[in-house]
Amino acid sequence: MKLELGYIQINDIQFSKECKVEANTLYVDPDAVKAFMYEDDDVKAWVKDFSFDVAKPGESVRITPVKDVIEPRVKVEGPGGMFPGVISKVDTVGSGKTHVLRGMAVVTAGKIVGFQEGIIDMTGPGADYTPFSKLNNFVVVAEPAEGYQDHKHEYEHAVRIAGLRAAVFIGELGRNVTPDESEEFETLGIKEGIEEYPDLPRVAYVHMLQSQGLLHDTYVYGVDAKRTLTTIINPTETMDGAIISGNCVSACDKNTTYHHQNNPVVKAMFAAHGKTLNYVCNIITNENVYLADKQRSSDWTAKLCRLLDLDGAIVSQEGFGNPDTDLIMNTKKIELQGVKTTIITDEYAGQDGKSQSLADADPLADAVVTGGNANEVIILPKLDKVIGTLDYVDVIAGGHAGSLRPDGTIEAELQVITGATNEMGFNRLSAR
Amino acid sequence: MVKEIERAGIPVVHMCTVTPISMTVGANRIVPTIAIPHPLGNPALSHDEEKALRRKLVERALEALTTEVEDQTIFEV
Repeated sequence: MKLELGYIQINDIQFSKECKVEANTLYVDPDAVKAFMYEDDDVKAWVKDFSFDVAKPGESVRITPVKDVIEPRVKVEGPGGMFPGVISKVDTVGSGKTHVLRGMAVVTAGKIVGFQEGIIDMTGPGADYTPFSKLNNFVVVAEPAEGYQDHKHEYEHAVRIAGLRAAVFIGELGRNVTPDESEEFETLGIKEGIEEYPDLPRVAYVHMLQSQGLLHDTYVYGVDAKRTLTTIINPTETMDGAIISGNCVSACDKNTTYHHQNNPVVKAMFAAHGKTLNYVCNIITNENVYLADKQRSSDWTAKLCRLLDLDGAIVSQEGFGNPDTDLIMNTKKIELQGVKTTIITDEYAGQDGKSQSLADADPLADAVVTGGNANEVIILPKLDKVIGTLDYVDVIAGGHAGSLRPDGTIEAELQVITGATNEMGFNRLSAR
Repeated sequence: MVKEIERAGIPVVHMCTVTPISMTVGANRIVPTIAIPHPLGNPALSHDEEKALRRKLVERALEALTTEVEDQTIFEV
């Protein structure tokens, strides 16, 4: 399966009555985006109103609480459309050609569910911790309809769909624009790969998906990951939005939809493919809250690694706490099949960094890349403008009573910053 | 907490869902429970069924508490 990504660099976003991409600038009419979002019945039912803003790198702007970050893309050749099974109809994506509006993102924010949502600072020390401070962000602030408190899952769903629809609307504006640059990614069939690269080690990416439920969810072609068995997916499918985030877990190590679209493990493995390794495929596996599910899913991961005759696997985690057990069960069982592993995780080692970093461990998990210690305490300065609201700074995961100080500065754990200790390695604290 | 209480000479049963973590941290008597968001209950059951489930779990835990163990032991329910 072969996919070409055509990158259209976006250096600026301007509100305008006309919607277009021209000379690396996105011109967009917020009212048109709003109308497109409201075409969905669930959005209509649960979102009272939307407001829009733009946050640019270096501006004295804080966006919070952040729900999701999404990169606008559009399929210009090949089957399927963006976010199959969710926005587009179900069809296998990952081949043909896709245009990417690079350098920007759609950020959904506002009073989302009241806790566990993140902060993106566009300047200052907070900006160094999040990759999204480097993007031009089209921020969609959602205001819930009356009575949402008793319907948090429905509201989360509505805002998730709204963000994806905004990204699809904007991505569509890049359909007829000539990309500044393009890149090709190809995954061979199993037999073809062995014949093409007989001497290279066969390596797969075991991509763990957050699926604990209660607002900690991921969707694959529209299917709730907690209701899936471990399976195989082409890496390029993820570039076309086959996996989306419905995850409100602590901001620092949740994989936003942007992370899934731009997975750095996928990128790094494609870069090594045919040179130092044969990148076989991605294996996706969930992180459920029943022990039997953990057992079944990790058994299945190890089975697939053996069936694919792998030499090695990179395993990335999402979230922390009990998913540490999924991580260790996967790793241990894969290693017992004779397949070498390296894991990517982050740490909750206490504010002084002296506590045990993971809730679970095993001697076979002996190659670890860490995204950093999420408990580290940081101080964020007061910024001139807030998009969203500061009302939840004390209660988001990583905050505490008094996090928002009277002078407008914030004292909190690194956990509050969107993407700070990302476990795909998409951050500034990795060892790379 | 399990280890500290045992260190004081009082036997402990750790009732938990993710028994591998319990094994890693060194609990001696472990009773597996239902799920992480609801370890001692199951919202999918009727009230009567759930009460029976809870009683079964607690009785199993009491049984574990009075059972001599040589090594870390999981008391399946």
